[in-house]
Amino acid sequence: MVYITSWDDFVERSVQLFRADPEKTRYVMKYRHSEGKLVLKVTDDNECIKFRTDQAQDAKKMEKLNNIFFTLMARGPDADISEVGGKEQMEAQAPKKGRGRKQ
Amino acid sequence: MVRLQPDPFLNELTSMFERTTERGSVWVTLKHSSDKSKAQRNKMKTTGENIEFKCLIRATDGKKNISTMVGAKDHQRFQASYAILLKARLTALKKRERKDKRKAADSDKKLEKSKKKSAAQKAST
Repeated sequence: MVYITSWDDFVERSVQLFRADPEKTRYVMKYRHSEGKLVLKVTDDNECIKFRTDQAQDAKKMEKLNNIFFTLMARGPDADISEVGGKEQMEAQAPKKGRGRKQ
Repeated sequence: MVRLQPDPFLNELTSMFERTTERGSVWVTLKHSSDKSKAQRNKMKTTGENIEFKCLIRATDGKKNISTMVGAKDHQRFQASYAILLKARLTALKKRERKDKRKAADSDKKLEKSKKKSAAQKAST
């Protein structure tokens, strides 16, 4: 399987894959500390899409994808993920971390 | 596969990350699951029962397997703790070249940008 190079592509296709067959699709994260490598995989055992990186900034993007999949999987494939892309989370965490940052 | 509650799962996952800093990998899998066998599901389908789906989280370092389930009620708390855990553990990834820019952090953004450019040019020469 070829790795997908574009992150947005990867997100879009992985969500599509999950929605097409929620019961079979799984999302796997593999982290290898010794080599500083991170591989993400989404597969339904027919199709497999992967993304790999060694960049810390991609780990931040992954956090959003994690949230998308947690929401989709815990709430069901029809759950609304338009708000999940980090906004909700950031707003929820902002008051704790950044005191008086907004006002 | 050991089924744990979400909090002990996160603790165990942390120690998995600690154990694999020198060598080895950690895998974390998320799956939409009803936690029931196919036979059970078919039975429930035929009797018209509502099948409840949750998010199954499995983790392994190649030696030990752990798992937990989170549902619609508690997934947000879990995903927040999980995100914090990952942030603390995924430290071997490369950061963008910013290490020397801390001094400039207080100054104007525009200044910072131009400094970055010049620093990058210096670094490349």
